[in-house]
Amino acid sequence: MAGKAAPTPTTYSPSPTTQKTKPSFFKNHDADWVRPDGRGFHQCRPAFFRTGAVNAAAGSAYAEFGNTKVIVSVFGPRESKKAMMYSDIGRLNCNVSYATFATPVRGQGSDDEDFSSMLHKALEGAIILETFPKTTVDVFALVLESGGSDLPVVISCASVALADAGIMMYDLVASVSVSCLAKNLVIDPMLEEESYQDGSLMLTCMPSKYEVTQLTITGEWSAAKINEGMQLCLDACSKLANIMRSCLKEAASGSEE
Amino acid sequence: MGYSNASGDLSSEMEVDAFRRLFPLRFYERHLAELIRPDGRALGKARDTTIALGAVASADGSALAKIGLTTMLAAIKMEVMTPLKESPDEGCIVIEFHMPPICSPLVRPGRPAEAAPVVSKQLSDTILRHVKHFSVRSFSGMIDLKDLSLVSGKAAWMAYLDIYCLDADGSLFDVALLSAVAAFSHLQIPVVSMNDEGKLIVVSEENGEKDVVNKEKRKLRLNRIPFSLTCILHKKYILADPTAEEESIFETVVTVVLDTSDQLVSLYKPGGPALAFTSSVQDCIALTKQRLKELQTILDESISGMEVD
Repeated sequence: MAGKAAPTPTTYSPSPTTQKTKPSFFKNHDADWVRPDGRGFHQCRPAFFRTGAVNAAAGSAYAEFGNTKVIVSVFGPRESKKAMMYSDIGRLNCNVSYATFATPVRGQGSDDEDFSSMLHKALEGAIILETFPKTTVDVFALVLESGGSDLPVVISCASVALADAGIMMYDLVASVSVSCLAKNLVIDPMLEEESYQDGSLMLTCMPSKYEVTQLTITGEWSAAKINEGMQLCLDACSKLANIMRSCLKEAASGSEE
Repeated sequence: MGYSNASGDLSSEMEVDAFRRLFPLRFYERHLAELIRPDGRALGKARDTTIALGAVASADGSALAKIGLTTMLAAIKMEVMTPLKESPDEGCIVIEFHMPPICSPLVRPGRPAEAAPVVSKQLSDTILRHVKHFSVRSFSGMIDLKDLSLVSGKAAWMAYLDIYCLDADGSLFDVALLSAVAAFSHLQIPVVSMNDEGKLIVVSEENGEKDVVNKEKRKLRLNRIPFSLTCILHKKYILADPTAEEESIFETVVTVVLDTSDQLVSLYKPGGPALAFTSSVQDCIALTKQRLKELQTILDESISGMEVD
């Protein structure tokens, strides 16, 4: 580009690189330690949703969980790409991207491709695709600030945006993750906690139907721990869905007036 | 509101709406004859404008600017670089403008928006060339790149400015420039010191003040801030700050950039079917002058609002 001066020199971020070793409080398995933001182990961050963030979209939502901030826009149902084969049911197309300033070091967003397909799989089961045959619904997410548990926040926010766009769903989709730190399970982990975690479990469900649409487990888990983690997530999801529902109700009653 | 009444309203509304979609030009021309626009604005009036500073906690400086529905989020991240040999005392600024697929139904992932590179180039031209042109002779541009120097010949700041369009509803360049300028005025340069390996790291509160390189230079001095206004030319009418709908109907736009000392920084008229008379160009400049005062007040208010907090 003409505006740029010469070849851009290599740069580095002056912020101290994340420590390779765990801070001491994580090492003592049984000792009392507090989470960096002072939450209880089984306490989620305050969740905030607002619909109608992007006017150009058919439906949209903004979500903020602590420092994690995402925007999701929904477009359609609209004409599918020309190359697509005929389809009796509708198509869902998802994309997740990170803003360059979302991460502590510039331009180190997570694997977008991976997140896009995870988002697709998490939502697919909840949307009544039969209601928009031959067309496509696009769900696009932008992570403005990454503060941990990015994917669960994107999924929950996408479900609110889909509802805002009037896309038929069996139920709202809520998603929560837990991190396994030594012997403890911490819910809704922050970025810092995620970098030290020994394992993680993310659960996406439709709380009113009590059905799980996606469950991913990484790291080392015992069967008992998995049960405990799933129960934690299910409880949190149903609470989260209440918050999501009240946000939608508020928006609907606001627009009626 | 009675039921029959409501349905009556609806049918007339439908007709207007259909007319608007089928004959957009005629729809607009009827409004223009009355010197008013469909959204109730006078022709020379810009939409409501707001600026929120510090919207992104992970950046060193950030701002959210909104004109009407068009929303832009700008954030600056400071990184350290080795300065170029020919300018050992100067830092660098890199500007990128992004239109992610969330902002408009016309943008799809993997296929960048047509408008994005154009706006990106215009922004670089306005902010960077503005900088360079003046700093060669004396310091009178918006940002003196020498202010970004840390250790002569060894280290300087590279300011990465990324602007994301969150909602696209016309006059993209104006909002992008406003958010960029606001992000620069919010920028807080981190305090750094040299470590044993010769790298610069951020000084945290606890490890005290050993060899702090930049004690005083926490804020960038901004002189002669550029502000812009886009206008549509159609017959004898000039419409300031167009929406996306207006831009799609009338294809001739003129963008004027002035700086705070009332000097003309740039003037774009990227083609279009209407030709601009000198008088209408002068009218656009006059409108931009008025707008500049408005924008300056809004920016000053948002900055002083931050200081109170």
